[in-house]
Order: sequence, then structure tokens, then C-alpha cells
Amino acid sequence: MIFNTPLFFWFFCIFILFYGFVFLKQTPKLYCLLISSLVFYGAWNYSFIPLLVGSGIADYFIAQAMANSLDKKNKKRWLMLSVTINLGILAVFKYADFAIESVAALLSSIGYNASLETLSWVLPVGISFYTFQSLSYTIDVYRGDLKPRKGLVEFIAALSFFPQLVAGPILRAKHILPQMHKISLPKWDEAKHGFLLITVGLIKKTGADILAIPADKAFAAQESLSTLEMWTGVLAFAGQIYGDFSGYTDMAIGLAILLGFNIPLNFRVPYFALSPVDFWRRWHISLSSWLKDYLYISLGGNRYNQRTRNIFITMLLGGLWHGAAWTFLAWGAFHGAIITLTHYLASQPLFTRFNHSNRLTTRLVKWAVTFYLILLGWVFFRAPDMHSAVTIIGNLHTIGSATELGAHAWLIFALTAVWVLLVHVMDHYVIKSANKLENKNGLFWFVIIVGQALCLLIGEPSNEFIYFQF
Amino acid sequence: MNLSTSNSDQDNSNIGTPVQSRRVFMKITLAITLVMVTAMGLVRVLLDANGANQQGILGRVLQAKAALPNIIAEPNDLVMFYGSSMVRAGFSPRKFDRDLKNMGKNITSFNFGFGGLNPYYQDLLSRRIAEQFVTKNRQLKLALIEFNPFQATTTRWERAQFTVDSYITMLANNDELWRILREDLTRGVHLYNIKYIRNHVSAEMITSYYAREIFPPFRRDVFQDNEKVTLERRKLGRELNTLFKKEYPNYQGEEWYYPWQGAGTIPEERAAHTLEVFDKYYAVTQTDAQMKNDRLSRIRTTDIEDMHFEPRLITSFINIVKNFQRFSNTVEVVMLPKNSRYITYSAAGKQRLVQAIQQIEQATGITIKNHQDINAVTPDMFRDTTHLSRYRGDIAYTDFLVKEYAKSL
Repeated sequence: MIFNTPLFFWFFCIFILFYGFVFLKQTPKLYCLLISSLVFYGAWNYSFIPLLVGSGIADYFIAQAMANSLDKKNKKRWLMLSVTINLGILAVFKYADFAIESVAALLSSIGYNASLETLSWVLPVGISFYTFQSLSYTIDVYRGDLKPRKGLVEFIAALSFFPQLVAGPILRAKHILPQMHKISLPKWDEAKHGFLLITVGLIKKTGADILAIPADKAFAAQESLSTLEMWTGVLAFAGQIYGDFSGYTDMAIGLAILLGFNIPLNFRVPYFALSPVDFWRRWHISLSSWLKDYLYISLGGNRYNQRTRNIFITMLLGGLWHGAAWTFLAWGAFHGAIITLTHYLASQPLFTRFNHSNRLTTRLVKWAVTFYLILLGWVFFRAPDMHSAVTIIGNLHTIGSATELGAHAWLIFALTAVWVLLVHVMDHYVIKSANKLENKNGLFWFVIIVGQALCLLIGEPSNEFIYFQF
Repeated sequence: MNLSTSNSDQDNSNIGTPVQSRRVFMKITLAITLVMVTAMGLVRVLLDANGANQQGILGRVLQAKAALPNIIAEPNDLVMFYGSSMVRAGFSPRKFDRDLKNMGKNITSFNFGFGGLNPYYQDLLSRRIAEQFVTKNRQLKLALIEFNPFQATTTRWERAQFTVDSYITMLANNDELWRILREDLTRGVHLYNIKYIRNHVSAEMITSYYAREIFPPFRRDVFQDNEKVTLERRKLGRELNTLFKKEYPNYQGEEWYYPWQGAGTIPEERAAHTLEVFDKYYAVTQTDAQMKNDRLSRIRTTDIEDMHFEPRLITSFINIVKNFQRFSNTVEVVMLPKNSRYITYSAAGKQRLVQAIQQIEQATGITIKNHQDINAVTPDMFRDTTHLSRYRGDIAYTDFLVKEYAKSL
């Protein structure tokens, strides 16, 4: 079930009737939320509900056992069990085929043709999100950052919380469990902000679907496009993935607000970043902070002069989290490399002045270089294979391409660039000054209605969110 | 094991009193309802203002469908030619009926050729036709069904994707929609939403329309006529429009016009001067440059020479034949004349075509009649690379059909 479909609209209407008018106390509300979340998930495929609930139950009891265990070794064993279960689920459903194919390719390259059959299993929607969310709970309990919660229903309801179940943000147990424990009544002012976020999310998603047209065309055509059109395609994909993912997140946060929950920000105008490090503080914040807290720190963080290695491993695995393909690994490695380079340059005396300068021209140069690198990264992310990615990057840097420009090439480039900019300006406004709009009732509802109408008019509910596949 | 929600029931301070809860959710529900109703109303106004509705999208099909009760009530034996825009351009029912009448046969025939309908949609429409004929226990004396190879290609199928949902809501009946809903809830609700709330216009159709405008798929003027020819073409086009309005003052713009039996005008009705203008017009429209541009367009949009067939469209075509077999004394499947001067099938395309024909013939038990290279129709009788021209190609081909089927009628 996708947020921008009529089915979700009717689902939400029925849900809100029960949640808001029938079940008025904590316990019935919690059960209502849990059952609705499972229905929401089951609408896609009911057979994967046991996997979701089962992994949650396992982590719930593992955390209890961990808390009851006085011996540190035993605690560690329980943690390893949780890690094995969660990563095992991911390994089987998400990475097994990739591993099998890679082994087969390797054997083939050394002249041994092994007929290895892939599993070809369906990838459960949202698996990367809920396994990470569940894992964070057991790690927090192991580290002593969180006491295990009493209340299995609360825990499963938090894990399966439908606004963020299938595409994040990845919630931390310490953030969501207390809210599940005492479900709040939304305040009207907050609800208005929820409506605004839902509308902004829909607008971004609709724009993303339109940007998919030049993006798909460019990544499919590759060699037969001019340099400008190739750049347009890459820029369009940058806009598409941002609009698609952050649009989904906005809707998730907005819906959660309507139910009385608070979900933290997942994007903070990422394409305005002034360095690759800055980009990861703004892009998919819940994942990057998860990777930092649970992987990078676990690897040793900045200690023992192993920062470069740890950054690289973290980014590599971060890339792999997005998908089981060499292109995602390459994307992660690329970001690992540019973050490392940023750290290296920052430590060089030659760049110190430049790094600390706050002048507009310096900031523009930093932004341009960062944005250029992010765009190059997206080529690996979107390309169907490594060969295509290399070809596309080559074409992006071909001066005086022999291919004739399409009829509206410059117009499409300009429209794409303007849309990406507009979306960021809109997000900046929503983050900084949404309350100004929300205080002007007439204008606020006008914006909501016109925004919704536009999305209803041209929004394509058949286009799934890109991040569902992760 | 603790399955409870711990001590939460003891403290409902955050959740508010039932009155507070109902009040805030009442406001939220009211806001959702008002926003959606107003937004949807705005959508309807915008769609209607732009003429985006059933009639604007599938006007000819729906008008033909609406004419079925009258067709069924016709006293004469019935003939229906069912197919694509090539049938629409290439078959003149009134000439067909008149020629047969001269042979002493009372036949009323109809042109059921529709542009933009691939076999998937034609299958849906043929079910609706069959339902009406079967209910009234009426039979067609002869059903001519066009097998148009380039309508059944994967390219054609993929390019029509944006129309699928809209067309289904217009052509499927309630049972079929209900079946979709049971099989796929998301899609089913989506279709019902398009049918009852969006006035049959899906968002995909609108997005695709603007996308086509912004992202033109290819240049349509690779080959160019000289300026004199272009200007003459425009001038004669305008003149023909003026002459049409003068000669048919009562015509209201119907796309499927009952008095013309679903086809166009016939030469006998036109003034001699008009026919002369038509001759001049064809001279400047059937130029080599125009034909070559049209060929490129057909290759890109229909894979007309290589013909990679879409299996589901072949299946749909087989269904069409079977639907017609339910209410027709005789069903004939034909391939219409082809403009061989400009369209040449590749060797692989020919092979694929032979396989597709075999599949259809085996499934239906009907031998397809290939009229692609008949002598009666010559390349100069085409207005482009695929459609026969009015007053030339359509007359010649209808003449051919009369000779071909008079005995059996």
C-alpha cells in the first residue's frame, strides 16, 4: 500500500475512524495501531508478516535476556544472536542471490563453470528498515543506553508503525518506544503541520515521477545522448531520488503527527551541502546516524588512526544496504573515498583558510564541487551495471559531443535544475518557517487544497517509491 | 512473558479525555474530507475545462458502442468490419452495401475501425459487442476482423501503457472491474477511483500528455519538403475544411456517425470541384519526404518492420476472434493492404509474422486472408505509409472486398 494511492486514502480514513473515535484509551489504541500496521504491511504480501513480527519478538526477548544476564560474555552472546537473526534475514532475502551470482562469476572467470542456482526469493518490502530498527534496540540494551521495555505489543507496534514501516525513517527504540508507551493526542497546530508535510511530500513525489522520464531516458540511452542531455538525465535522477525519498519521509512524518507521534527529520536540504561530510549530515539522516552510532563507532570510530578504514567500511556497507549489486558497493566506495579526501584536505595547511572561509564565493565553490561529486555518485547508484556507469561518466565529460541535441534539450535541463532548486527552497522554508504559513489560516488551506489537487491531477500512483526496494 | 502494554492504562494523561480525543480527530477528519472533496472538485473542473473526459478520449469507440442497439435492430443482414484506424480509413460500408444491393443482396455493414486501440482494448470492446448481440440473440452474417501486425508489437504495447487504466474503466464491465479488485486490491481501488471520481481520466494520461509535450520522442521532420509544397499543403487543407463545412452543414462532429455507418464521406456525395481539390491535396501530402518521415515514425512507435510481437496482444487478438465467433455466422480474419513502396518487413520480422499467424490460426481455426499485396490496391492509394486514402484507397479496397465476399453473403 503506497501513501499516494486511493487504497491508502480509504485505509487511512477507516483507520482514523477507529483510532480517533472508537478506541479512546491507550491499550485499545495500541492494538488498533498494531493491527492496522499489519494490515497495511499485509496489503503488499501477507506471507511476510510472520517474518516482521517474528524478528521483533526475537529481539524483544533477546533484550530481556540480555538485561537479566549479569555476565558480560553472556550479554555479548545474546547480542550476537540478535545480530545473526537480523543480518541473517537480510542475508538470505537480500544478499544471497548477489553472493551466489558473484561466486559464479568469479568461478567462471577462472575457467570453472559452476551451475549455481539463485534463490530468486521475493524481497520483503521494508526489510532493511525494520531489521536495522530492531537491531538498534538490542544494541542499545547491550550498551546500557536503554533499559529493555516491558510490553511486547508496544515493541511490535513500534517496529511495524505503518507510517514509517516500509521506507523509514529508521526510528531508534529510545525515540519511538516511549511514545508508544503513552500515545499522545495530536494538537491541532501540530496536525496542521502534518497536513503541510503530507502535501509537500505529495508534491515532491509527483515531481519525482515526472523527473523519472528524462532520468530513465538518459540511463537507458547512455551512448546516444549528447553531453548536455546526459547531465540532464543525471540531474533529473538526483531530483527524482530526493523528491521520491524525502517526499515519502515527509508524508510519513505528517501522518505520524496526525496520530500523535513525532518522527525526527530525515533530510535537511541535502543538495545545499558544502562538503561530502556535510551531505551525509543532511541526507537520509536516520541511516547515516545509525551507521555512525552502530557501525562506525563499533569499528573504533576515529580512534587508533583508523578513521579512513572505518569510514570506508561504513560507507561500503552503507552502499550495500541500499541494494545487492556492485553498483551500490561502488557508490558506497565512492562516497567513502570523497569523505576521506575531504578529511585529508581539511587537515592540509594549504586548504585551512579556504576551509574556514565563509565568503559567498568560497561557499559557492564548495557547493559546486560537492554537488558535482554527489551527481557522479548517483551515476553508480542508478546505472544498471558497472560498465554502464563508467560509460555514462565518460559521456558526462565528453566535450563537443557529436550527438545532435534533442528539440527541447536546454529547456528540459533548465526545468530540471529549477525544479531541484525549488524543492530545496520549499524544504528550507518548511524547516525554518512553516509556522508562518500555518498561522495564516486562509493561505494555509489554499496551499494545501491546491497542492493536493495538483498532485491528484498528475500524480501517478502506479509509480512505487524507489526506496521500497531497499 | 509480558504481553500487556505495561502500566499504560493507568495513565491516560497524554491521550486526553474521550471528548478531547473525539474533538481533535473530528477536526482532522473534517479537514481531510474538506481538503479531498475540494481538491477533487478542482480536479474535475480542470479536467472538464480541458475537455478531458470519456468522449474526449474514446469518443469514437463510445459512440459506436452506443449505436449497438440500433445496429442490432437493423432489418438487413449485418456485416461488421472490426479493427484499427486502417479499417476506419480503408472500408466504406455505404459503397459495400450499395454494390451488394446492385447484386440483389440486402446487407447493412458497419465500420468498426478505431485508431489507438491495440488488441488488448479491442478484446475488451469486442466483449461488450458480443454481450449485446448474444443478449438480443442477433447474429452477424459476416464479421471481418483485421489482424494488424504492428498493432500487436511490444513497442505498441509499451507505448500504450499510460492509457491502460483509463481505457479499462471505459471498456470493462462491472464484473471485470470487480475481478480485478479481488485479485489486486490496490489496482482495483485505483481503477474504481478513476472510473467514479476522476471521470475516467487517470493521472498517467495527464502526466504523459505533458511529458510528450516537454520530452518529444523524436524529430518528425527529418525529411523536409520545399516551402512551396508545405504552404500549398496548408492552403489546400484549409480549403478542404471549408468545403466540408459547406457540403455537410448538419454534421455535428460525431466521430462515429450512424448515417455514414461508422466510416467517412463517399465520392458520390462530394462536388466535382471538391474531388479535384482532393487530388491536388494528395499530390502535396503523399510526397516522398512525408512518407519517409511517416515510416520513421511507424518504426519508432510500432516496430512496423521488425515486429517483435507482444504475447499478450496476440492472446488478446485470439480472444477477439473467439468473441466474434459467439455471434457471427462467418468470421474472417484479414490483413489489410500494405504500402510496400515504403514499408518492407525485415527477414526476422517476416519470420515472426509467420509464427504469429500460425499461432492465431491454430487457436481460432481460421485461416488469415492476406490482403497486404493485392493488385487492386497500389502504393499511390495510401495517404501515408499505412492508411488508405479517401476516395481512392478505400474505394478500391471496398471494391475488392465486395468481389471477395459477395458470393458468401
